[in-house]
Amino acid sequence: MNQPELIVQLQQGDASAFTRLVAQWQELVFNTAIGIVQNVEDADDITQEVFIQVYQSVSSFKGESKFSTWLYRITVNRALDHERKMKRKKRFAIVQRFIGDKIDEELHPVEFNHPGVQLEQKENAAMLFKALKNVPDNQRIAFTLHKLEKQSYQEIAEIMNTSLMAVESLMARAKRNLQIELKKYYRP
Amino acid sequence: MNSEENMDKKIETVLNSLDSSNRAAPMPFLQTRINARLNKEVASAWEKIAGFVSRPSVAIAGLCFVLLVNVLVIGLSKSANTNAITDQATVTQTDEFSISVATIYDFENNQ
Repeated sequence: MNQPELIVQLQQGDASAFTRLVAQWQELVFNTAIGIVQNVEDADDITQEVFIQVYQSVSSFKGESKFSTWLYRITVNRALDHERKMKRKKRFAIVQRFIGDKIDEELHPVEFNHPGVQLEQKENAAMLFKALKNVPDNQRIAFTLHKLEKQSYQEIAEIMNTSLMAVESLMARAKRNLQIELKKYYRP
Repeated sequence: MNSEENMDKKIETVLNSLDSSNRAAPMPFLQTRINARLNKEVASAWEKIAGFVSRPSVAIAGLCFVLLVNVLVIGLSKSANTNAITDQATVTQTDEFSISVATIYDFENNQ
């Protein structure tokens, strides 16, 4: 079944269309979310939230862009919102530490291993994900969409609602910043 | 120089470490969890409405509004009744003191 037909069915309130939509797009949403938040449980939560939002606001999807582009946008926004929430929690945890309270374990995640990375690349990928945490949001999004989701620069430009030139610039700056970050590990 | 080149190579390998990665799959039964959350959200919407209505400030404001409407309705209906009585009284007076009705007690025309 092609995408627009599935969307039309969902817009008409067909519950089975929603089941098919989740089955078809769950990996796209989850993989994008996990690349940004770097935590399996959080990515799973975000995936659920994204599909709930899709279910509730599918009537507002006019088909001006591809459905996948719309889905990527929702996922990226949700993941960034989640990160902001976590940062606020972290700030509160610092205050708690001064008071002497116990700090939640989830706020200090251990090294992240992406489940889809090849075994021989696990160590390198973990290092890359660690370095990605110190790169500005828009550069990190562009890099993650390109490397993890194999999106072209043109598709990334559509998802991020920007120009192709801007994405090229973002990717160049992301690589430069990552090189600086990675040099810190090799040359402490 | 050699170590610098070596480091650059290593960094390049790290930067390309995701190129051969596959998509990560979510935990099983995602659909069930989404459906459960959707049903919970519908229930929680009603809970939110109930919670809002049962707030003391909202409940008191609602009660005041109902009382005000009652007072207004009573006031309006009273004034409507008074008008009716006044109309009736005027008609009665007009009938009683009508100058157009000629009777043997018609003093005004008695000249």
